[in-house]
Amino acid sequence: MPFIMSLLLVIAVAGTAAAGPLDGPGAPQALVCSACHGFGGQSQSNTMPILAGIAPWYFKKAIQDYAAGKRQSPEMEPYAKQVLQFGVDDVAAYFAAQPRTATPVKPEPAAVERGRAAAVQCTVCHGVSGKGDPSRGVPDLTGQPPGYLRNQMLLFKADRRSPADDQLKALKALMRTIPDEQLADLAAYWSSVR
Amino acid sequence: MNIGVTVSETARFAASVPYSVIAFPFMLREDAMTRLTRRDFLRTSGTGVGLGLLAGCAPKVSDFSQKTGRRVVVIGGGWGGATAAKYVRLADPSIEVVLLEPNKEFVSCPFSNLVLSGVRTIESITFDYDRLRDRGVKVLHEPATAIEPGARRVRVGNDSLPYDRLIVSPGVEFQWEQVEGLAAAQDRVLHAWKAGPQTVELAKQLQSISDGGVFVLTIPPAAYRCPPGPYERTCQVAWYLKNKKPKSKLIVLDANPNLVSKAALFRAAWANYPNIEYRASNKVVKVDPGAREVTTELGDKVKYEVLNLIPPQRAGTIAVAADLVGADKRWCEVDHLTYESTKHKNIHVIGDSTIGLPVPKSGNVANAMGKICAVAVASLLNDKPVPPMAPGNTCYSWVSDREAIAVVNSYKIDGGKVVQIEQKLTPGQSEMWAQNAVGWANSIWQDMLG
Repeated sequence: MPFIMSLLLVIAVAGTAAAGPLDGPGAPQALVCSACHGFGGQSQSNTMPILAGIAPWYFKKAIQDYAAGKRQSPEMEPYAKQVLQFGVDDVAAYFAAQPRTATPVKPEPAAVERGRAAAVQCTVCHGVSGKGDPSRGVPDLTGQPPGYLRNQMLLFKADRRSPADDQLKALKALMRTIPDEQLADLAAYWSSVR
Repeated sequence: MNIGVTVSETARFAASVPYSVIAFPFMLREDAMTRLTRRDFLRTSGTGVGLGLLAGCAPKVSDFSQKTGRRVVVIGGGWGGATAAKYVRLADPSIEVVLLEPNKEFVSCPFSNLVLSGVRTIESITFDYDRLRDRGVKVLHEPATAIEPGARRVRVGNDSLPYDRLIVSPGVEFQWEQVEGLAAAQDRVLHAWKAGPQTVELAKQLQSISDGGVFVLTIPPAAYRCPPGPYERTCQVAWYLKNKKPKSKLIVLDANPNLVSKAALFRAAWANYPNIEYRASNKVVKVDPGAREVTTELGDKVKYEVLNLIPPQRAGTIAVAADLVGADKRWCEVDHLTYESTKHKNIHVIGDSTIGLPVPKSGNVANAMGKICAVAVASLLNDKPVPPMAPGNTCYSWVSDREAIAVVNSYKIDGGKVVQIEQKLTPGQSEMWAQNAVGWANSIWQDMLG
C-alpha cells in the first residue's frame, strides 16, 4: 500500500511538474484580469475583489451580469465581454482552482468590532461563517477587501446593482435600513473573517 | 450621475474610512490624499535595497557573455519590459531572463500628473526592481547599445549578450528636431513626459509661477504616449492654478483638431476651470527660451512664464537603430499574437513602440502586451502552440485632486489580428472612480514589479 501511494504521488507530481502557473485552459486568458485583480486573482487592492478560489457559479453569474449591463460598470462590462469571448467556463475554473489568501488590507480593529456586533443581520442568508450558500445563490463574503464589500453594499442600497433582480429585493430592503457608516463597519468585519 | 454611489455618499464614507494599516509593500492607502513617504516604502520593501547595492554583489554584463541554457533578454524595464521579464520567469522558470534597464528605479508615468499638482509625491510612484531579482530576473542597470539580429546578440558597450529570444520594450523617444530651437534647449524646456526628475522640476516651476503668470502646455500630433495624458495634465495644472494662483491662466496649444481621448468628459471637467484657454489645431513648431515664446504652425506667437512642451514622439532609439521600425521610421509593426517583429525573427516588440494594433499607447496595454508576449515566448521556446490572448486597456484620468474619469477597452483575436470588442467611458466624473484608479495603480504596479 505505501508503495502504491508513493507511486501515485510520483505520478501526480510528474503530471503537474510540466504544467506551470500559466499553463492549462483559462490560465493565459485570465492574465488580462491580473492588472486589477492580481496574479491568480489574488487582489492586493482595496477596491478590486479577490477572484482566487471564487465559486465558479458566482464568477460566471458576475461575468454574465456585467456583460449584460445588469451590474453596471464601465470598467467591467468590456472585460466581461472579453472573458465570454475567450471562454468563461475555463476562466472560472482557473480562478476557482487558485489558492485563496485573504485581502492584505487590514481594517481598523474598532471598525471590525462594531461590524461584528451588527453582523447578525447578514448571517440569515450568508450563514454565521459568512461563507454563503451556493444552493441559494448566496456568495462568500469572507476575506474580501473591505472597500469592495462596502461599495457593493452601497450599490445594493441605491438599487444600482441588478435593479430588476427579484432575488435581491429583500437584501436591498435590508441595506436601506442600514446607515452608510455601519455598512463600512460590516465590510470591515466580513473582510476580517477567515 | 454615475453608476451607483453619489459623490456625497463616497465623501461621507471617505471621512470615516476604517482602514489604517496596509500590510503589503506595494499598497498605498486608497484614499486619494494619502501619501507614502520614500522612507516608508523602502522600509516596507525590506532589506533587498541595501543588499543589492553591496559592492561585488551586483551582476555585471560580462557575467552573461556566454549562454548555457535558454535565455530571453529584455530591453527596457518599464510597463511592458518589467512585466514581460517577470512573466517569462512565471511561465517557465528554467528560462534565464536578463533585463537591461539603465534606471535603478522605476517611476510611474500614470499618476505622475498628480505630482505636478502636489496631490502625490514622486516617492509614492517610485519603485525598485528588487522583487524581480527575487524572481530570478537578472537585472542589469545598463543601456543596450545595439542589437545584432543575425548573431542573436545584444551589445552593451564592449560586451555582448547572446539570446534565444529578445523582447524590446524601449518606450518612446522624442523627435526634438520637429520643433525649431528645441534640441538646443532640452535642459530648459521641460517635457515631463517620462516620469522622473523632469516631473519634479516642472512641479517646482508650476509652484513658483507668479500669480497672473501664463503656463503654456503644448500637445504633439497623435500618435504619442498616453493619449489622455495631456488633458489630465491640463486638469491638474488648472486645478493647482485655480487654488494657488487664481490670476494665472493655462494656455493649451494642441496640434490635434480636438482632444484625442475622453473629449466630452474632459470638456465637462474643464467647465470647473475657467483659467483654461484651449486652442485646437495649434501645432507648435518653434520655441525660443530666451524670449519665453513659442510659435505655432499658423505663425501665432505665444508668450509664457512656464512652458511644458511635449515633443512629437517615435519608438525608442534602440528600435530605430535596429531597424525594427516600419516605413514611417517611427513605430514597430508586430505579429498580433506573439508580438514578434515583422522585420526581424526572434525579436519581439511591446509597449508604446508598437503600431498596427487598435490599442492606445498606455501603460495598461504595455503591461498586457508584456504578459501575452511572455507566454508566447515561453511557448515558442518550448515548441508549444501559442495560446490566443488579447490585451485590455483600463485608463483612469484625474480631473481634480479627488475625482476621476475612465475609459476601458476590451479586445479579441479575429483572423490572427487584435480587434476591439468594446469601448466604455464612465458617464461622468466621481470620487468612486478615483478610488478605483488608486486600486488599479496599486494592483498593476504589483503585477509589473511585485
